[in-house]
Amino acid sequence: MEVLEYGFMQRALLASLMVGLVAPAVGVFLVQRRLSLLGDGLGHVALTGVAIGVLTSTAPVGTALVAAVLGAVLIELVRARGRTSGDVALAVLFYGGIAGGVVLLSLAPQGQATNLEAYLFGAITTTTTADVAVFGVITVVVLGVVWLLGQRLYAVSDDEEYARAVGLPVLALNTVLAALVAATVVLSMRVVGLLLISALMIVPSAVAQQLARSFRQTLYLACGIGLVTSVAGTTASYYTGTPSGGTIVLLAIALFLLATGSVAVREATARRRHRRRAEVHAAHPHEHGAGCGHPAVLHGDHVDYDHDGHLHAPHRTGAGVHYDEHGQHAAPPAGTGGRA
Amino acid sequence: MSAIRLRDARIGYGDVTVVQGVDLTVADGEAVAVLGSNGSGKTTLARGLLGLATVLGGEVEVLGAPVGRPRERGRIGYVPQRHTVSGAVPATVREVVGVGRLARLGPFGRLRPADRAAVRSAVAAVGLADRLGDPVASLSGGQQRRVLVARALAAEPELLVMDEPTAGVDAASQDALAAVLADVSATGTTLLVVTHETAALAGVLTRAVVVDHGRIAYDGPLAEAGVEATTDGHHHPEGTGLAPSRGYRLDQPRVTTDGGR
Repeated sequence: MEVLEYGFMQRALLASLMVGLVAPAVGVFLVQRRLSLLGDGLGHVALTGVAIGVLTSTAPVGTALVAAVLGAVLIELVRARGRTSGDVALAVLFYGGIAGGVVLLSLAPQGQATNLEAYLFGAITTTTTADVAVFGVITVVVLGVVWLLGQRLYAVSDDEEYARAVGLPVLALNTVLAALVAATVVLSMRVVGLLLISALMIVPSAVAQQLARSFRQTLYLACGIGLVTSVAGTTASYYTGTPSGGTIVLLAIALFLLATGSVAVREATARRRHRRRAEVHAAHPHEHGAGCGHPAVLHGDHVDYDHDGHLHAPHRTGAGVHYDEHGQHAAPPAGTGGRA
Repeated sequence: MSAIRLRDARIGYGDVTVVQGVDLTVADGEAVAVLGSNGSGKTTLARGLLGLATVLGGEVEVLGAPVGRPRERGRIGYVPQRHTVSGAVPATVREVVGVGRLARLGPFGRLRPADRAAVRSAVAAVGLADRLGDPVASLSGGQQRRVLVARALAAEPELLVMDEPTAGVDAASQDALAAVLADVSATGTTLLVVTHETAALAGVLTRAVVVDHGRIAYDGPLAEAGVEATTDGHHHPEGTGLAPSRGYRLDQPRVTTDGGR
């Protein structure tokens, strides 16, 4: 493939593969914790780290990592001390981060305007060999920590109060999660960009949670979606000349709309079918019962009646007898339990 | 040994005192109801034991250690006052109840076969064995509350604290809960149940602590607690609103000088 002939594309694809896998693995915990925008904020903070790196001629990936992790720890400490001022403190930290980054970068010699855009929105030509090595280490560490502590991170993200009551180390786990987010932000800064990484953490999870039944399934599915959209978006940006970050995120959002739409259609279809059959049975000449002519089928804790190939479950409502369709029991729409 | 010991305890949030002057000792294996009207401080008292409210003064010891200090993990079970398990991300019954085992393991320990067996038996105890792999969101409100009970049971706790476990739960689920709690109590687990209404759990809970205006107003046998079931139509905001909640009324609360040592 032509796209693989260039060294910069090989590095960009490697980086996109890693960030596509890692970002949703961390993001799914943020979604559960209802802290979806933490990644966005830490991206702002990382920009100050990038600027310090550029000014001091240090590798910006390293300084961004330090800044983002420090920001993450600070955020968790602020949150742990009380929630009233936490919101404002976060805003100060986040916007201080991006303002500091922009001002410091403007002080750098020979104008860094084009570089700034690449850091914020991603560019496929910027990944260096040293970056790929750092990204590889970040990937292994983040996935390792998620594998090791995933159940605890889930517990704390799901019900922090319960975790605190039974003696789980809540502050430590929250800080670990925030540090993972910080590391993921830095991993993203070449291909996806600091302003867009939050989308790659959150959107694959938002797609997966509509399709999966368990947290584990959601996690794996989100990682798969992240991987595919990230690599596909990076490849597409090579051919279209668009910024890789924006291309990846638009792809992910397209998947999200597709999943949301198909789930909505599926549920509407199920509702319509139920209503249509309910109309048929509203005109039913008899109530199902012993000797009504329709075979009785024992179904769990109740009796259904086989009626033209589907099962009826009669139950009394205020308006008379209503029939639920239990024939489609194999795949009831989530959450409705088969009743309209 | 006593499971819970409070001496002149003052508990609240931030600088605000909610309950004060609390002397209370609960022996191992006791089954205690903490009663009181909305705003009486009964929930804050329970949360103080769990480290979820701040101990502002006096002594509060749980399972032999002061609250807030690191203690042996996994000895406390907690069922919060919440109707549903409402995560943004789907989770199965098995996953939610599995969290109950985590606190027993070390900082990096993973669930082992014995832990998985404990999860299964806790889920079976609340009558949801056939829903183990189902998403929690597909369960009814009453079933979701039973999942939270199973999560606490899976920890095989020495002390089980429950906040309003019967609020908004239908009669059948209340009876099922009473049966589960009777079994748990029989194994020697100390029970502390914060509740508005004692009727459903009267067979399990033996002692009542009535909290009124932030102080203990009565401490003694549940049967003599001077509370009676009323149907005053009193609306509990956390109730379902589907049926009038059974409230209760204090008849001439007897104030004891000693919290029952």
